[in-house]
Amino acid sequence: MPTTSRSSLPIWTALASAVSAALVLGAMTLLHRLDLESAIAGATLVLAASTLIGWIGVSRERQNEDLTSPRSADELSRGPPYAAMVDALPDPVLLVTGLEPDDPTGRRYVLANQAAREVLNLTLETGLLVTAIRDPDVLEAVDEALFGQVAATALYDLGGTQGRVLKAFAQPLGGGDGELRTAVLVLRDETDIRRAERTRADFLANASHELRTPLASLSGFIETLRGHARTDDAAREKFLGIMQTQAERMSRLIDDLLSLSRIELNEHIAPAGAMDLALAVMDVLDSLGPLAREGGVTLNSDIPAIGRAITIGDRDQLVQVIQNLVDNALKYTPPGGVVTVSLRLDLSAVEAVVPSMEESARLSLLTPDHGTTRYLVLQVTDSGPGLAREHLPRLTERFYRVEGQKSGARPGTGLGLAIVKHIINRHRGGLAVESVEGRGAKFTAYVPMASQAALQVL
Amino acid sequence: MNEHIVKSYEDELNALTAECARMGGLTEAQVADSLEAVIRRDQALAEQVVTRDERLDILQAEIERKAIRLIALRQPMANDLRRTVAAMKIANNLERCGDLAKNIAKRTMVLAEAEPIAALTRSIERMGRLVSGRLKDVLDAYTASNLDRALQVWSRDDEVDEHYNSLFRELLTYMMGDPRTITACAHLLFVAKNMERIGDHATNIAEIIHYEITGDETMSVPRPKTDGLTY
Repeated sequence: MPTTSRSSLPIWTALASAVSAALVLGAMTLLHRLDLESAIAGATLVLAASTLIGWIGVSRERQNEDLTSPRSADELSRGPPYAAMVDALPDPVLLVTGLEPDDPTGRRYVLANQAAREVLNLTLETGLLVTAIRDPDVLEAVDEALFGQVAATALYDLGGTQGRVLKAFAQPLGGGDGELRTAVLVLRDETDIRRAERTRADFLANASHELRTPLASLSGFIETLRGHARTDDAAREKFLGIMQTQAERMSRLIDDLLSLSRIELNEHIAPAGAMDLALAVMDVLDSLGPLAREGGVTLNSDIPAIGRAITIGDRDQLVQVIQNLVDNALKYTPPGGVVTVSLRLDLSAVEAVVPSMEESARLSLLTPDHGTTRYLVLQVTDSGPGLAREHLPRLTERFYRVEGQKSGARPGTGLGLAIVKHIINRHRGGLAVESVEGRGAKFTAYVPMASQAALQVL
Repeated sequence: MNEHIVKSYEDELNALTAECARMGGLTEAQVADSLEAVIRRDQALAEQVVTRDERLDILQAEIERKAIRLIALRQPMANDLRRTVAAMKIANNLERCGDLAKNIAKRTMVLAEAEPIAALTRSIERMGRLVSGRLKDVLDAYTASNLDRALQVWSRDDEVDEHYNSLFRELLTYMMGDPRTITACAHLLFVAKNMERIGDHATNIAEIIHYEITGDETMSVPRPKTDGLTY
């Protein structure tokens, strides 16, 4: 190794000078009869000094070595590790090249960082730009940067079930006529901002509209109670009862609306942390057992052993999913009916929604974006009146209620399935419904099964 | 894929696919914008969609011209021939989607003058998102030459039909309930029908991708088909 010989060089020079100094001193002793003691003292002094010089030399060399260790010496000669830096950036970054303005197919991306490959779902590190991004506005911004040499921005609606919106910044990096021009394209996730705006607007619209009805009824009863019902004890009791029901309904509505808003805001952020879905199902079944007995409904379950149905998910939210689905099933099942909850492991998205009823109407209410994942499949089947085909597409709509169906003594808020859909979407899963009128309905919710690799990281 | 000896031949083939992808991007934007225009009652956006449709027509003609030129001069075989023919057929389907989007945009101009019906707008929006997503998925499958994803689009065609049938019924209810809404509802019915047909074109494109990749004209998996139009 060149470095070893370089660093050991001062030691040898120091030793050589010490030895030659000792030889000179020895000769001087002989020739000038220098007394032995002072000669030895001189030699020791010379030796010590030269060793010190040598040691200083070596440590200097070592210091230099620390600054220019072989790895950084090579890399610094090429500049900082830009490629690794770009790859580590959280925002998607693409390096784009183009030769001729009138050759739209000549634009290529020659570098896509990790984030870009994930967001745009790219398998190749380089390729035609249109195979990565088709949005005409973004392509136009890139053209302006490449051939107009000016920075340009565009809004990029990525679509997909999570509805991601990105802002694209294209910046020219140079290149003149006839040579390869380059530009950098940076995408920034703006889903948060847009989602917050929309959620707020939705919340206000829903809240004001849906809360107005129970509120109007409350003020009506208050007026009556202060008026001619003031002295009528029986009427007062009855009215107070109705008022309490209305107030409870309002409070449930507010709870559901708030929880829906919260879920919507985080919908594009995938949850972290492993959890056992089988345990969650058991918890829900335990808590809803009394309700089932009260309604005279048999609650059956078919769930795998604990420790097998592991998913990466938000426990509270998934419990809410199971709770809403089972609660709905219980609500619509008449006394003597059966509600079955099953949890199956390791199915594909297609296998998850295979129909099981004969001549049923079925519809996927939410389908995950990419289909190679394996899923945990939760199915809740009831023996209630079922749902007519035309109602299926609107089931997850807020406040949508199937007409002609009585939801019994405990009216819902009309938000249960909307909440389920948004939670499942956050977990990158799917939701489907299957029903035969008069014979019952089956809701299927599926979330990705945690892979062994993912579990080891956690 | 093996490299061709004549470099420009491969370039020409790639250019054809790239042009098709670009046209796909434009079509997606047209469909999305036309829906946005209906939902937000945005007349200016609707007019933009109508004027931009010409670009799609030009692109389609160009792709066809290039494909024919390639067939005449290079006489592509097997894989290459399928790629060329697929580009031509996909461009045709995209051009039709563009026309349907233009038609949706035109109806916006009438709809903007009527009273808005919030519940219907939501249903239209939901169906529109589904159809836009379908188009995006199938074009993603095309640019990535991913047969599985194309098959997924193809096998999920019935979802769009279910939405269409549900919307159809909803519109009927409104029209029966209040005859003053008939004009708006009739236009919305065509909007829904146009979207359903865009969904059909997406399915067609999935079939073309299947043909391009496998060389097989008939799909190997049976499609679950629901026959819901009983009223």
